[in-house]
Amino acid sequence: MIFTMAWRNIWRNKMRSIVIMLSIAIGLFAGIAVLALYKGMMDARIRTAIDAEVGHVQLHDINFKKDYEPKYFVTNGEHVLHEISKISGIKLTTSRSITNGMLATATGSAGVQINGVIAEQEYKASQLKNKIIEGKLFDNTKKNQVMIGKKLADKMKLKTGSKLVLTFTDTSGSIVSGAFRVVAIYQSVNAPLDERNVYVTMKEMNTLLTIGQSFHEIVVLLNNDEDLQEVQQQLKQKFPSYKIETWKEISPETDLLVKTTDQFSYILISIIMFALAFGIINTMLMAVLERTREIGMMIALGTTKVKIFLLVLLETILLTLAGTPVGILIGWLVSNYFNKHGLDLSGMGKEMMSSFGYSTIIYPEFPTDKFFGVILIVFITSIISCLFPAIKALRLLPVEALRR
Amino acid sequence: MKTVIDAHNISKVYNRKTIPVYAVNNVHLHLERGEFTALVGPSGSGKTTLLNLIGGLDKPDEGNIFINGVDITNLSSNELINFRLRNIGFVFQSFNLIPVLTAKENVEFIMQLQKMNKRDRGERVDKLFKEIGLEDKLNERPSKLSGGQQQRVAVARALASKPQFVLADEPTANLDSIAASNLLDIMVRLNKEENITFLFSTHDQRVIDRARRVITLVDGKIISDSANVATNTMHPTN
Repeated sequence: MIFTMAWRNIWRNKMRSIVIMLSIAIGLFAGIAVLALYKGMMDARIRTAIDAEVGHVQLHDINFKKDYEPKYFVTNGEHVLHEISKISGIKLTTSRSITNGMLATATGSAGVQINGVIAEQEYKASQLKNKIIEGKLFDNTKKNQVMIGKKLADKMKLKTGSKLVLTFTDTSGSIVSGAFRVVAIYQSVNAPLDERNVYVTMKEMNTLLTIGQSFHEIVVLLNNDEDLQEVQQQLKQKFPSYKIETWKEISPETDLLVKTTDQFSYILISIIMFALAFGIINTMLMAVLERTREIGMMIALGTTKVKIFLLVLLETILLTLAGTPVGILIGWLVSNYFNKHGLDLSGMGKEMMSSFGYSTIIYPEFPTDKFFGVILIVFITSIISCLFPAIKALRLLPVEALRR
Repeated sequence: MKTVIDAHNISKVYNRKTIPVYAVNNVHLHLERGEFTALVGPSGSGKTTLLNLIGGLDKPDEGNIFINGVDITNLSSNELINFRLRNIGFVFQSFNLIPVLTAKENVEFIMQLQKMNKRDRGERVDKLFKEIGLEDKLNERPSKLSGGQQQRVAVARALASKPQFVLADEPTANLDSIAASNLLDIMVRLNKEENITFLFSTHDQRVIDRARRVITLVDGKIISDSANVATNTMHPTN
């Protein structure tokens, strides 16, 4: 009967209860909307990191990443690639020759990472083909072609067809140079990477590096993100002398961002609920003070303090939870709408979003994984909110309450 | 005769540190099972305070109150809550029904607190509503009942826990004469047929006329305690 009383009590002052329920609904909707936006942004960032930047797993010589010295290439690379392809769950692999060097034009120079790639594989592995905004794909019949990022092109005032010189050291430490012509300009969502990475064909780069058919990096893409740890373990067992890293290790800033955003999401919801808690406390306090006489009478008749506390607690929980489904429903509808149609944040600054590696079109996703966390926060809020009014009710002396 | 209430030398003082006001002053009260007693006196004479003390709603500053042999002045507040639930029925001047519960639920609520099973509750509710003549109002909320009907439900609620006695504070004060008369009829009948002990405060002469014992309180002191001759002639004491 305490439950029945609690439920009916919240409807004694309909307007007041509806106002607080709506505040909870709107607060939750706002929280869910922000969570959905963050989730959309983080998922997009992870996808970009995996599908267009580093892949799921990378394999290098154990010394290569210390200084990117070209002499630390993957020995017996073709065999390694063949063995990797036998592991289940692998979508595709590609190899890259990589070195750091200098890009020079008639008007200036810039430090760059030069990636020697097998064009057809690279188009799939890093979606390089889709990123091209000007120019053509690599042409097998032509030599000395280079693809550069838009940010670098703008900085160095380069266009398709422009000539540039790439200078770097070979395996013996000798400085080598090659003149290249810009065949295409690409643009990804990550402007800093666009500014730093240039792509040439592996064949031409290997000739300059004098590493023959070898390469420095193997990029592995998986069918399922969930297989990441398992595949990494298998690769580590198969190739213990190589450095095997997942995208989380290669791009720790992305992983850190995702983790901190997760924590921030809960903090955000907690702040919203903390603010709402004052509204709930106010409503419940009014409800208790208005019913001083009634509660005093209940105590007089033999209602224990536990039951009085339970009544106030249930009323608070019901009041809070009644607004929760509405907030969640609106949050779900809105995030689903924008998940389908995308949310254009270019108004916030395309340059700024790009400099952090984000696309300006975000596809918010309802934070299903945080659903129970959010419900738990709402539940805890209602319990905390009930404490003050409940203590007020418990402190009532029946003889005084009945006099009012 | 079984002693139900035995109050020794009880006093309740307000403003003890400044100008002490004795709401109840050195009162001795002894009630046997089955008594139908009116507590009368002018406003401020201490009637309600005395009822609150006997009902365990307040504690005396001096003296002891024994209910069925249990000294309630030594009970903790939690023990008192449980004691009141099992031993004392209350009827208040302004009915004090729980507005969100129906008449039936108001009565059943007390039985639920006593952890009575559903079947027994149902049977007792039916019996009590038959006694108060409101079988057709079981599912009405208090706001849909008249004052007299609400007070009858309050009486049923007071009896729901099968208490040792019922304390009623000005039970007819907010009722018109017909409703008051009906309520009194019910209380007298319950007292007579089921030997339920009633102690009630009142100003109402009609109520006083129906009491079998009248205790008069003035300035917190009992100035007279006498059997109501007229009533006792009509309803001799058991």
